Amino acid sequence: MNTLLLSTLLSLAVSGSVMAGDLVKMKGSTQGRVNHEFIYQDGCQTCHQGSGKKNATDAACVECHGDINSITVDESKLAIPEAHPHKSLHYNQGASCLACHGEHEKKAPVCTECHRTWFEVM
Amino acid sequence: MQSRRNFLKLSAGAAVGSLAATLSGTVQANTCGEINWDETVDVIVVGSGFAGLSAALNARRKDVGSVLLLEKMQVIGGNSAINGGWLAIPKNPIQLAQGVNDDSPEELVKDQIISGRGMHNEASLRLIANRALDAYHLCIDTGVKFRDGFNIQVGGHNKARAIRTQHGTGGDITTKLYEAGVKEGVDYRLQHYIEDFIMDGQKIIGVKVRKHYRFPDLKTGSSVFIKANKAVILANGGFARNMALREIVDPSLDPTLDCTNALGATGEVTLTAMAYGALPVHMNLIQTGHWGSPDEGGFGWSNALLSIGWHQGVAINVLNGKRFMDERADRKTCSEAIMKNRNADGSPAYPVVLFNYNNYANDDRVVRALRDKMAWKLDSLDAIATQFDIPVAELSRSIVEYNQHVRERKDPLFNRKMDTAEVLTGPFVVSRIWPKVHYCMGGLKTDLGARVIDGRSMEPIKNLYAIGEVTGGTHGEARLSSTSCLECLAMGIVVAETIKADLQGAV
Repeated sequence: MNTLLLSTLLSLAVSGSVMAGDLVKMKGSTQGRVNHEFIYQDGCQTCHQGSGKKNATDAACVECHGDINSITVDESKLAIPEAHPHKSLHYNQGASCLACHGEHEKKAPVCTECHRTWFEVM
Repeated sequence: MQSRRNFLKLSAGAAVGSLAATLSGTVQANTCGEINWDETVDVIVVGSGFAGLSAALNARRKDVGSVLLLEKMQVIGGNSAINGGWLAIPKNPIQLAQGVNDDSPEELVKDQIISGRGMHNEASLRLIANRALDAYHLCIDTGVKFRDGFNIQVGGHNKARAIRTQHGTGGDITTKLYEAGVKEGVDYRLQHYIEDFIMDGQKIIGVKVRKHYRFPDLKTGSSVFIKANKAVILANGGFARNMALREIVDPSLDPTLDCTNALGATGEVTLTAMAYGALPVHMNLIQTGHWGSPDEGGFGWSNALLSIGWHQGVAINVLNGKRFMDERADRKTCSEAIMKNRNADGSPAYPVVLFNYNNYANDDRVVRALRDKMAWKLDSLDAIATQFDIPVAELSRSIVEYNQHVRERKDPLFNRKMDTAEVLTGPFVVSRIWPKVHYCMGGLKTDLGARVIDGRSMEPIKNLYAIGEVTGGTHGEARLSSTSCLECLAMGIVVAETIKADLQGAV
């Protein structure tokens, strides 16, 4: 299973340029990210710990994507070098993936609470 | 609100219902084990700002057992992570290297007594000031970097004693304390919202927590019960983001005021503690910063930008193009004057502050304000009038008049001290202003050991401690800049020592 996830992700990483994945209609009224389509075909358990009603945690993100340090960010696209969302001066290792990333909805990263011009809703 | 006895009836009825029905007062203490706890630890810390992080790390270092830190938000650091990273440390090495040798903890206390205006707690201020070097070393030991050679005198202090973190944010401290805590065995949990305390009479024995909570939706996540064998430390910060509470305790606080604090500063844990008897003090003493900008969130850059604006520039009412206050008066005076700028429908007519661009073109306060579009470079008064819809003739007249006052070094309109004022020629840096709520001087009454005082008995609530902005009475009428970080770090050290001492006393 993990090998399958990994190879799917790798192929996406090579072909895709969108970091978080576009948000599209996935199942019924539920929206999801195009790069997570294979997860939806599997049911919700991959992220929701056995039940779609249970909130997902970072563990599900990390299992496929690795921890925050192993995820590359295109630094040429940053407004300023200090605005590196995975090396935040305020939070560094102390941020949940969910602080900035939403799977089923567009979400403004936590940085936008103060730095309104640096990041877009994604 | 849930006492242990109610808890037995309500939540664990199915499991221990028959037992609960036969409980008598004398056996209560022995029945704690009957509660269906999901988890048990020795120390629970609520909140992950300077205070909580310091307390958690120091509790580990004092060997008082397992330490679990609960944070309701999705990030570690609370309001501290976004603060300005200023730290007042008498006798810090940079200060001594500058040749400032006549500072001492007592000198800091003297300054704080003046700003406290009789409402402060002198013993508490002294306790904190005497631990300032310990707080500094806590930072250095965990890898915090301060700016080389940087130590300045900030508002209300009589000595240069404020050092600043490398990047000018408290995040430089919170991230390091957090990482040290991870290494030393502190268990951190994000998205854990404190729903209730579990009490055994006047002793706290645990907390009811909403796990996997997503701020601000209280329907998210699910409830668990966590037992605290030895201590619960409240380090949940202030309540400046709780609009309803803010308005109740200080009706003069304008509801249009934004807030410099992180979104989580809503104070519900403070209210829960009060519901169990914790004595609140000075809840109505809430500090506003008159240096806020409506064009950015939270604390932002405006405070720094206006350290130029107030001195070298001028504040203008957009409705009539006129000056309206002494730009260098204190926070309260300026806030009140600014908030009188209103449109006919009562909505804020944000005043503008302008100063000359050329002398400050490379100043990072200007560079980042322009970059982040919370201030604008405009070449002429005409351009300013157009952008901010100010009557241009009145604006021009005001600036001509102001420039005359600058040359004469005298302000007949508002009696401002004009020693730093510059003749305004343009091009200009222009920003909009509106005060923001900044800091809660009030909160829970604690003793010098950080034990929370029950207002009914005036005795400590057993095993319940509180440090940082959640506490009240320390600073009195107004808190000085760079003293909150010090208080939180120092009291994190003190509370760990108190818990250790209380445990030894209990044996």
